[in-house]
Amino acid sequence: MNNLKLAWRNLWRNRRRTLITSASIFFAVFFALVMRSLQLGSYDHMYKNAIESYTGYIQVQHKDFWDEKIVDNTFAYNQQLEQQLLADKNVEACIPRFESFALASNGPQTKGVLVMGVDPDKEIHLSNVKDKMVKYRLSPEAIEKIRQDPNLPEKVKELAILFENSAYTNNSRLQLDLGIDDKKASELMPAIEGHAAFKNGFIHLGEPGVWVGEKLSQYLQLGIGDTIVLISQGYHATTAAGKYEIKGIVKLPLPDIDNKIVYLPLDICQDLFNAEKNLTSLALAVDDNQDKAIAQTVQRISGLVSKDQKVMEWREMNEVMVSQMDADDKGGQIMLGILYLVIAFGVFGTVLMLTAERKREFGVLVAIGMQKKKLASIMTMEMLLIGLIGILAGALVASIVILYGVEHPLIFKGETAKIFEEYGMEPKMAFWNIDTYYIWQMVIVAFMVLLAIAYPLRKIFGMKVVNALRA
Amino acid sequence: MKILEIKNVHKIYNSSEVKVHAVNDISLDFEKGEFAAIVGPSGSGKTTLLNMIGGLDTPTEGEIMVDHTNLAGLKSSALIDFRMRNIGFVFQSYNLIPVLTAKENVEFIMSLQKWNKKEKDERTYELLKAVGLEDRINSRPSKLSGGQQQRVAVARALASKPKFVLADEPTANLDSKSTETLLDIMEELNKEEGITFIFSTHDARVVKKARRVITVEDGKVISDERKK
Repeated sequence: MNNLKLAWRNLWRNRRRTLITSASIFFAVFFALVMRSLQLGSYDHMYKNAIESYTGYIQVQHKDFWDEKIVDNTFAYNQQLEQQLLADKNVEACIPRFESFALASNGPQTKGVLVMGVDPDKEIHLSNVKDKMVKYRLSPEAIEKIRQDPNLPEKVKELAILFENSAYTNNSRLQLDLGIDDKKASELMPAIEGHAAFKNGFIHLGEPGVWVGEKLSQYLQLGIGDTIVLISQGYHATTAAGKYEIKGIVKLPLPDIDNKIVYLPLDICQDLFNAEKNLTSLALAVDDNQDKAIAQTVQRISGLVSKDQKVMEWREMNEVMVSQMDADDKGGQIMLGILYLVIAFGVFGTVLMLTAERKREFGVLVAIGMQKKKLASIMTMEMLLIGLIGILAGALVASIVILYGVEHPLIFKGETAKIFEEYGMEPKMAFWNIDTYYIWQMVIVAFMVLLAIAYPLRKIFGMKVVNALRA
Repeated sequence: MKILEIKNVHKIYNSSEVKVHAVNDISLDFEKGEFAAIVGPSGSGKTTLLNMIGGLDTPTEGEIMVDHTNLAGLKSSALIDFRMRNIGFVFQSYNLIPVLTAKENVEFIMSLQKWNKKEKDERTYELLKAVGLEDRINSRPSKLSGGQQQRVAVARALASKPKFVLADEPTANLDSKSTETLLDIMEELNKEEGITFIFSTHDARVVKKARRVITVEDGKVISDERKK
């Protein structure tokens, strides 16, 4: 009879207790992993949204631009610098931008907007605005047509009403948000496309025309073909004013940006602000976006820029968001700590009962010749087995949920979605794929179980056989 | 041949208020093959004496020599090992390991001593046959009666071929028939295989079977009679 076999049999002496203890460990691991996955996934998603919609991973800027975002703090485009930057092993593309603020108006509606002069073709390497162009818009007119369509089921009509004024950048997004499954989608999509079709156009360098964020277009009540008026202060305090036809509507995942962005072709934007060929930033698309690689890239290219320029990485440019995420991360960790603590007490309770119940048996085993260290190893195995059952089962079920969640993120609809958007977040919670955090959560729970073993081990090694036999 | 020598053994319990002299200057010798009963009323010190003989408790004063080894000279783990190889125990409440079958309970000590499987199987069968339980080898303690459990406990105590077996009130929880069967088995093992049994008891049926009766009262031996 080896130790493991004896430990295994001991485990099932009180089947219910073992199952309850394992279940508590199971839930600890399951919730810890799923919560952590959701947390890390959401952070990653938000960071990516911010980076890919706006800042990029690295930017070269005029040294004063970040602190004072005025068009005077710009720098002249320098092809030699661009070539040097592109020669860096981690830099995939240099994306020139001219960024400023303006007042935008349409009729009586006016709003402060972020004007971004971009090279639409180069942006494909970073923000890829083209993919964010709205394909469908469920305008009140479109909704009315859908409501009147006798061929559409009531459920789709109800969903369509719920998403009135919402815009979609692709078919799958529309299907996902409207809750249309694959089977129904093939029947219903043609009708939705028919009623909600949206004509969107590309902008090109040298051609006046703008893209506006979907939320901004709603606020200003602008549609494709309408004209937007921009007024601002240009280079060296000149007046910047212009009116542009709206070529397209883009939907950016960051509601804060979506609510204020106007994209212009770079040269048209430079003309608007009388900034000649100046840029506010050169955003860099990178091959490896891991923190370490980014830091190394920043270090390398810092030597290339002039004294009037500086290199900024995404954390500096998204300081507020990073701080919010850090605070949220800490909050999440405290929650996990509380969860662990509750479970730890549960496990410890089991260990206490188990030790008290078997005091006499421990005495008998040592009396007839079992060494205390062997007895301790059997007890350790018992607890580890209970822990392992819970940990492995928890990890297995969490893996199924997480792997599903990675492919199918949680997308909030209706009022909940609005709450998310009010906080400037996309109404979506993504899962982070199985990673090192998985090991850590399991190690922490295993450590907790090991800590609980300390009690019976102390009892065993300090046991007086004659007293134990009297128990 | 002396297998156990008890020399001027005292056991004093010091509680906060009173000092209890549980064993008071007892000296005894046991020869191989004895079938001895230590008798006395409750609280007389017989269980304390038995515990000290078995190395489960330490004397306050005096020496206990088992086969010329002074138990007081052994460190904790060495004492456990010594007990395993030289002393068999039968407890009042059987104290079998509930998750093991009768066979596994008997084999347990042999496994601790790393006997090989063939030796273990042969010895286990031999012992369970000797206690009349060869047909219950795969039964767990919960499926055995009290008498049967105690017979398994006797087989377990003999498993490692000890110098002697200490049985603390072995019949206290048994009915007359089971007591009779158990005593017959132990007597037979004693006579045929020369195994030494030392009981602590106040059961008249055990006293009747014993060939040596040591009476203890207030921690002292007041008589030590050998029957012919």
